[in-house]
Amino acid sequence: MKRQKRFEELEKRPIHLDGFVKEWPEEGFIAMMGPNDPKPSIKIENGVVTELDGKKRADFDLIDSYIAEYGINLDRAEEVIQMDSVKIANMLCDPNVSRQEVIDITTACTPSKLEEIISKLNFAEMIMAAQKMRPRRTPATQGHVTNIRDNPAQIAADAADAALRGFPEEETTTAIARYAPLNAIAITTGAQSARPGVLTQCSVEEAAELSLGMRGFTAYAETISVYGTEPVFTDGDDTPWSKGFLASCYASRGLKMRFTSGSGSEVMMGYAEGKSMLYLECRCILITKASGVQGLQNGGVSCIGIPGAVPSGIRSVLGENLICMMVDLECASANDQAFSHSDMRRTERMIGQFIAGTDYISSGYSSTPNYDNVFAGSNADAHDYDDYYVWERDLAVNGGLHPVQEDDIIKARNYAAKSVQAVFEDLGLPAIKDEEVEAATYADTSKDMPDRDMVADMKGAQDILDRGVTGVDIVKALNNHGFTDVANAYLNLLRQRLAGDFLQTSAIFDENWNVISAINNANDYKGPGTGYRLWEDKKEWDRIKDLPFAIDGKNAKL
Amino acid sequence: MAEMDELVKKIMAQMQQQNDAPTAQSTTTASAPTAPTKELDASDYPLFSKHPDLIKSPSGKGLDEITLDNVMKDNVKADDLRITKETLQYQGEIAKNAGRPAIQKNFARAAELTAIPDEKILAMYGALRPYRSSKQDLEDIAKELETKYNAPICAAWFREAATNYEGRNKLKGDN
Repeated sequence: MKRQKRFEELEKRPIHLDGFVKEWPEEGFIAMMGPNDPKPSIKIENGVVTELDGKKRADFDLIDSYIAEYGINLDRAEEVIQMDSVKIANMLCDPNVSRQEVIDITTACTPSKLEEIISKLNFAEMIMAAQKMRPRRTPATQGHVTNIRDNPAQIAADAADAALRGFPEEETTTAIARYAPLNAIAITTGAQSARPGVLTQCSVEEAAELSLGMRGFTAYAETISVYGTEPVFTDGDDTPWSKGFLASCYASRGLKMRFTSGSGSEVMMGYAEGKSMLYLECRCILITKASGVQGLQNGGVSCIGIPGAVPSGIRSVLGENLICMMVDLECASANDQAFSHSDMRRTERMIGQFIAGTDYISSGYSSTPNYDNVFAGSNADAHDYDDYYVWERDLAVNGGLHPVQEDDIIKARNYAAKSVQAVFEDLGLPAIKDEEVEAATYADTSKDMPDRDMVADMKGAQDILDRGVTGVDIVKALNNHGFTDVANAYLNLLRQRLAGDFLQTSAIFDENWNVISAINNANDYKGPGTGYRLWEDKKEWDRIKDLPFAIDGKNAKL
Repeated sequence: MAEMDELVKKIMAQMQQQNDAPTAQSTTTASAPTAPTKELDASDYPLFSKHPDLIKSPSGKGLDEITLDNVMKDNVKADDLRITKETLQYQGEIAKNAGRPAIQKNFARAAELTAIPDEKILAMYGALRPYRSSKQDLEDIAKELETKYNAPICAAWFREAATNYEGRNKLKGDN
C-alpha cells in the first residue's frame, strides 16, 4: 500500500510506543464490568455471611472469607445491596449529600456492588466524587527519593530538596537490596534536616521493611501488597491473615502503614480468574478495610501499563481510587510509574487525581530525574517540577508542591549531605568524603556523583544491623557532630511513636509537628464555598503564585 | 465474627478496668496518669497536644522526659520510644468514635503485640505466611500468645487462620 503521509507522521509520535490491547476478558484484560464478574449479592444468617456476590459460603476462598468476616458493615449490608446503584452513584457526586451519608452506605457494600456503583460514573463525575470523598481535607502528594547507585549523600540531599518542595511523605528503595538500612537512614536524616515532620519509608521485602521501622530508621511503610485472587495472594507469599497480622505489628511499634494494591497485578501474575481488574481491586480494597489498616496505595501503581492498555482503563483507575475513599481509607493514588512515552498522556493519567485532590496525588512523584528512579521511573519526575507548578498556578489547584528558590535548595542539600556524613562517621560506616557532599549539593543525577566503594558500604550496612544500631544512635550521632537541630527533629519523629496520633487515617505532619489527619482535618466539602480551596490557604497559595520565573511588574523597567 | 467481636469487647472492658485501677505496678516515679473516665473521641485528638499526660513510654516516662539531653545521658533508650498498649487503646477509641471500628480492632491486636520482642514478632509473622506452618504449629503459637504474652485476640487470629488455611490448603506441605 502506498502510505498516506499523515499516517506516517502520526506513527512517529511517542504515543505509538505505548502498548494497547483489545478487551480480552478471559485473561482479565478488561477494566470493569467484565462478562464473568459476579452480580452483587449478600445473605446473612445469624450474623454470618452465607452468600457473597453469588458465591455460597462453602465455596469461599480465603479472600471471600476474610472480607465476609471483617470487611463489610453487615448492619446495613442487606439493605444496601437492594439500593439502586445509580442512586448511590448520584449521591457520590451530589454535593448536597454529605460525605458521611455516603460512607454509611458504601462501607456496607460487597465488592461487586462497589464495582457496579463506579460503573455508573463518567470521568468528570468521578472527579466530583473524589473531591468530596477523600478523607483528609487538605490534599498532598508523596515523593520517591532514590538513585541507581544508592549514594547516601545524594539520597539525603534529594530528600531535603523534596522536603522543601512540599512532600510530607518520602519513599526510598534500593538498587541493591543490602543497602536498605543505609538508604533508610539517609532519607530520614536528609528529610528531617530540611523540614522536620516529613515521614519517610524504605520499600523492601515485607519482613525487612518492618524491621527497618522497628529499628527507628523509617517512620511508616507502604509496600504491604494485597491481591484480588487467592493464587496471586499466595504467590505474593502472604494470606489475608498474615497481612492483617503484619498491619498489627506495625501499629504495635507506633508506625504508620498502608497497604498497596492496584489494577493489573493479577493479570500480570497470570491468575485474574477471568474477572475484570476493577472487580478484583474492589476485593483488595475490602481486604484492606477488613485488616483495620488506615489507608491504601492503589490505582494501577506499578502495574499501570495493564489497565492503561485497555479501553476505559484510566477511568477505571480513578474509579478504584474513589472506591478506596468510599470505604473511608486514606488514598495514596498512584501516578507513580512511568507508563507512557507521550507527555500528553502522562498529563491525562494524573489529571483526575490532580483536579479532585487526593490524600497523596502521586505515591510517588519522582523527586529525582527518572534516570535515578529505582522504582523503574515515575509518571512525573524532577524535570517536570516547573510544569507542575504552572498547572497548580494556572488552575489554582493545590497539587501538593510549591516552587522553591535555588539558593534555599543549595543550602538545604548541603546541610542534608553534611548531616548524613556525620551520621556515617559516628556509626563507623564508610566515610562520606567532602567532595561527595559538594557533589550532592549541586547534583542533578548520580552521574554527577563520585564513585563509592560499594562492597564496603554493603559490609557497613550489615554491620549496623548486626550491632543493633537504632534511631537513638542516629540522634546521638547528629548531636555529637553539632547537628543539634537535626538530632531534635529525628528524636521528635521517634517521640511521635509514643503518641500514635499519626496512626490515624491520612495523617501527615506540618513543619511544627502538628498532625493533620482525617480526624482533625476531615474533608468537609459540600459544594462551592466549602471544603479545601487553595486561595483560602493563603500561605500555600502565595508560595504557588510566587513563581520564580514570572515577571514581576514592580521590578519591570518600562 | 460474633465470636471474635465478643472477645475483643471483653478484653477491651478488662483493659479499661485495669486503667481505672490505681497503677501501683507502674515503675514510674512520675505521677500516674489519670485514666479518662469516658471513651476518647475526635475532640481528644491529637493526644500529643491535648492529653500529653496520658502518654507514657513502656518504662513509664512522660513525653517531657523524652529529650535530647536525656538521650545523650542514656536516660532514654530505644525501648522508651515505643507505643504502649494503653495509648493504642486510646487511639482505638478515637478511631472507633470517628466511625472506623476496624481500626480499633487492629489496634486491639497491636496492643497485645506491644509485649512481644521484635525478633519474636517477626517470626510469628513468618509463621502465618502460606505453607510455613502445620495446623499444630499455628496452634502452638496461639497457646504461646495466650499463656506467655496474655494475647487472646491474637491467639484467636492464629486459630482462625489455621482453620482457613486447612480449608484452602495453605498449610505446610500443601504446596
